[in-house]
Amino acid sequence: MNSLVLTVVLGVGLTFAVVFFGWSVSPRLPGNQQGYEPVQPIAYSHRLHAQELQIGCLYCHFGSEKSRHAGIPPANVCMNCHRFVIASLGAIRAEHEQADQQKRQPQTVVSPELRKLYEAMGLNQDRQPEPGRPSNPVAWVQVHKLPDFVYFDHRAHVNAGVECQRCHGPVETMERVRQVEDLSMGWCVNCHREVNQTGVAGKPVEASIDCDTCHF
Amino acid sequence: MAGRHPNHYWKSLQERGAWVKSPAEGEEKFSELLEFAPGQFARRDFLKAAGFTFLSAVLNGCQRAPVEKAIPYLVKPEEIIPGHAYFYASTCRGCSAGCGLLVKDRDGRPIKLEGNPEHPLSKGGLCAVGQASILGLYDSRRMLHPLRDGKESAWDEVDRNITGKLEEIRKNGGAVRFLSDSIASPTTLANLNAFLGGFPNARHIVYDPLSCSAIPDAYEHTHGMRLLPRFRFDRAEVVVSLDADFLGTWISPVEYTAGYQTARKLEANPPRFSYHVQLESRMSITGSKADERIRIAPQELGLVVTQLAALLASHAPIPFPIDGIQPPAVPRQALEKVAQRLWEAKGRSLVVCGSQDVSTQVLCNFINHLLESYGATIDLKFPSHQRQGNDRELQSLLEELREGKIAALFISGVNPVYDLPEGDQLAPLLRRVPLVVSLDGKPNETIELAHYVCPNHHYLESWGDQEPVSGVVSLLQPCMRPLGNTRALLESLAAWMGTPKPAYDILRENWQAKVFPRQTKESSFQVFWDHAVHDGFVELDKTPAISAQSFATSSIHPILSAPALEKGEFALVLYPKVGILDGRHAENPWLQELPDPITKVTWDNYACLSPATAAEMRVSEGDLVRLAAGDDPKALELPVVIQPGQHDQVVAVALGYGGKTTERFAGMGPRWLQGKSTVGETGRVGVSAAPWLQLADGGLQYWRAPVKLQSTGKHLALASTQTHHRIEIPQHLATPGTERRPVIQETPLQAYLDDVRSGKQWEEKQHQDLWPQDHSYTGHRWAMVIDLNACTGCSACVIACQAENNVPVVGKDEVRRRRIMHWIRMDRYYAGDDAEVAVAHQPMLCQHCENAPCETVCPVLATVHDAEGLNQQIYNRCVGTRYCSNNCPYKVRRFNWFDYPHEDRLENLAFNPDVTVRSRGVMEKCSFCVQRIQEAKIEAKRKGEPLRDGDLQTACQQSCPAGAIVFGDKNDGNSRVSQLLRSSRRYHVLEEINVRPSIGYLKLVRHRSEGQEGERRG
Repeated sequence: MNSLVLTVVLGVGLTFAVVFFGWSVSPRLPGNQQGYEPVQPIAYSHRLHAQELQIGCLYCHFGSEKSRHAGIPPANVCMNCHRFVIASLGAIRAEHEQADQQKRQPQTVVSPELRKLYEAMGLNQDRQPEPGRPSNPVAWVQVHKLPDFVYFDHRAHVNAGVECQRCHGPVETMERVRQVEDLSMGWCVNCHREVNQTGVAGKPVEASIDCDTCHF
Repeated sequence: MAGRHPNHYWKSLQERGAWVKSPAEGEEKFSELLEFAPGQFARRDFLKAAGFTFLSAVLNGCQRAPVEKAIPYLVKPEEIIPGHAYFYASTCRGCSAGCGLLVKDRDGRPIKLEGNPEHPLSKGGLCAVGQASILGLYDSRRMLHPLRDGKESAWDEVDRNITGKLEEIRKNGGAVRFLSDSIASPTTLANLNAFLGGFPNARHIVYDPLSCSAIPDAYEHTHGMRLLPRFRFDRAEVVVSLDADFLGTWISPVEYTAGYQTARKLEANPPRFSYHVQLESRMSITGSKADERIRIAPQELGLVVTQLAALLASHAPIPFPIDGIQPPAVPRQALEKVAQRLWEAKGRSLVVCGSQDVSTQVLCNFINHLLESYGATIDLKFPSHQRQGNDRELQSLLEELREGKIAALFISGVNPVYDLPEGDQLAPLLRRVPLVVSLDGKPNETIELAHYVCPNHHYLESWGDQEPVSGVVSLLQPCMRPLGNTRALLESLAAWMGTPKPAYDILRENWQAKVFPRQTKESSFQVFWDHAVHDGFVELDKTPAISAQSFATSSIHPILSAPALEKGEFALVLYPKVGILDGRHAENPWLQELPDPITKVTWDNYACLSPATAAEMRVSEGDLVRLAAGDDPKALELPVVIQPGQHDQVVAVALGYGGKTTERFAGMGPRWLQGKSTVGETGRVGVSAAPWLQLADGGLQYWRAPVKLQSTGKHLALASTQTHHRIEIPQHLATPGTERRPVIQETPLQAYLDDVRSGKQWEEKQHQDLWPQDHSYTGHRWAMVIDLNACTGCSACVIACQAENNVPVVGKDEVRRRRIMHWIRMDRYYAGDDAEVAVAHQPMLCQHCENAPCETVCPVLATVHDAEGLNQQIYNRCVGTRYCSNNCPYKVRRFNWFDYPHEDRLENLAFNPDVTVRSRGVMEKCSFCVQRIQEAKIEAKRKGEPLRDGDLQTACQQSCPAGAIVFGDKNDGNSRVSQLLRSSRRYHVLEEINVRPSIGYLKLVRHRSEGQEGERRG
């Protein structure tokens, strides 16, 4: 009886060891999401909007200056432009050329990604609001997710002058948002320690390394 | 005994007994032995099973973190920033007092209630019931749909049926009665009168379950008008209360506490310190604050008032014949002293009486008339509307019900089948009424009998108004969309009048027509309305609402005799508890678990007996006694609680328990092998004492005599926290010099005034210290001062902290095991002998010690000190060794022994999102509301402004009606906390062990001087 139990225990332990080390060549700690680049419900491109079109981070992510949560912009912010901008210039030009060739009126081109946005907003085929039509807020996949016991506050960092790219990497170059840093506590505390000596953007800062700055 | 150790405070009778007897005899045990049932599992099998489970759990953990979605608004309201809290001004409807409220909204729903600091009555305070009332909004057992004969229905169907029936009734001239609690809302009253005006025989009948209807009745005799005055405790230098618990449960306790504290500001220049005499039969928190407390039996109250009136009349002098008066049990000398004090403070004194006997109240009016209180400390021109009950009309309604004369009965805000003495007889009477409509949303005894239930919104979902005292009109505004298909009372009435209209429109129109013209400050109604909604209230121009006649002395009838009680007979006193009141919030778990400020018992009601009576009957705490009265067949079986300071002939039982709404607590608390249920054999919490009330002499009477008590020999374990978490060392462990710890310190008034005159300030005592004092606090240094003199023990801070910090409720069994989770507790100490005790209340919370004993023993450094003076508790690091709690001398640390159930998703909406909800195995304690500190600091940085004193308040500080708790930055020399810390009254609890706490207490100030101990009145 005893040897059976021992065998089972050792067997399970061995399996566990194999699984753990075989998982990846460089095992990472659970919860480390560095490199996470999930598919989003709408293929929003930061490269297009932030780099090519030069829209500032705070235009959409206004919460980062005023609140703990930077937030993903509500759909009405997108609609500020996308009421009028319904497809890329290239696609519209292509349609016009085809229409010329085929001697017909050019049809309205709507980008398939934007169609997802309009459906979420509850707009009809002609992109007009229709009362009674169901709407569904866009369920973005959160990329930079800290554990629930961390109360990170964007306000303190943005108002101190920390630029977004310092923690989020070169987001303006990304077609799909990717987590660049590992966002571990050690990484946060190191930066806090550094900037207490060096300051941020030339200004001295008080970046507390007390535990209850983030854990309460 | 009392003379030798005047300042020796004790918490329980065993504790007191222990240091009176020799150590060998009266040894106090740490606790009664808790039962350990033989386990069903053998330990080894359990460990084997645990081992396998652990392995599989670890395997499952080796994965990517689960996918989380972030879902923003589709169209965000422009002014809302997600993550910000928005405050809306409203009015509390936890009771009828109408305190001003600021509702903290996050994500479009209320999560915390605060007092409105600008409100002229409550001045920013909010009592425990008000703080807890937010749970009523998220109550999953609330009725969210109209019901017809107990089945869910739709509004149009219900309206059609009701209006059809009402039409018939109108044609036949049937009697329509609207039975409600005090409605101080001008708009509701206007609409209700319009509704009832459409019937030939309709009346609005008001009763308060906690009735003070004898007071307006008395004013009708003496001043020709039925009114409840506004009592101005802030203007009174001498207060005499005849059995009125004005700081605890009487009419408007938050308002009266704020006023009472204004007259007791020792830090004012010059210091003010009123003199308060309390004559009562049981120990109330008002009695605990009194400078002079005289025990009287309830049947003698009339005699005492007559005697006092005669003494004052002799001062006047005016004739007041009391020949043949039976001498009351109170020594004449004591009453003479009281009369002398009152007379010296003529025009600045106030006498209030809690009796429901009209003659006694008339005599009280006479006393106030002699003392020239009218116009000074009693305001008749701007009376109160906080209790409007008319018990005589209630009696006639019951008469009509008995005779079957009622055609339609509407019930709103009251539970007569539960509240009234013959409630069980009321049920068949109500069934005979052709149309019974209930307008409440809580399932209770009365609603079951209604044909139609048209549930009103919760007050946090409603538009409404309230005029608690004449001239102050406050608004209620909805702080979230109604959760269900409920409908405002205003809208229901409008629908049944045939003119359906939204409540907002009805309110606005009424304000434009009736309220706006009563002021002259604003000329535009829109501007006036916007300001009113923003501020939460308006103060109207001071044209008196009432002009009462002058005093009619013909109405006075001295009371010359009182029924005598024979040996073995008792007077039963029925009283409301501070947390439970009349039982209207009995389904609120926070209030049920709140230890009563005097007895410290949770989750039960009981029979309070004085120590002498208990000794005579040979009963001890928890023994069941049976109450019976004469030929009355009903009997009441309750556990005994021994109450020092109670009159020997009185047995006191709390109202509000044993209601149907408490059946939900059957599964309260963690469910584990040895856990016991919170509810008793009856399936309910406590026992209803309402059948023992009497509706007689034109009023609800809250005492009756004679009753007989009989010990049953049975025992019920009470969940009392009175000996839990004691700071005193048990006698058998004390080293010489540590037997008594000066946890409560007091100083005579004269000594304090001398200190103020000489400019004496607090001096830091130097202690020997192993630790180098090398922590320099260069930034903020958070500290707190608690004024023991101001604290009344009302425990609003306890509930405020629970609401702010997501503190769980554990259930009765866990409380018995000393596992109550409140981060701040109210410790109550007695001093003196059994009969005459002085009481002290001390809020005890984490002291955030500089030399914290808990920080040095944590093996994983989950509790460390931060750079601003806080002792931090990091939940994610804690592994649950509990060494910190072991080492804490104040016993303020709380361990999560279980994952307390949070399965009710609606109730979880009340959580504060800024505070972690702790899981099993983690220690928690007061954090000085660090989430508020962080928020305030970051907002100040964002705005580029320095953090000002007063920007930041802890939850306990913000809620305290007496302003006893002050929190702030010690490094800011001008902050209030720094000023108070310089006071000569400052001391620290357990100063002598040199843990250097960040919380300073201000000593209690007693009116008597040293050496007057023996003069304690008998």
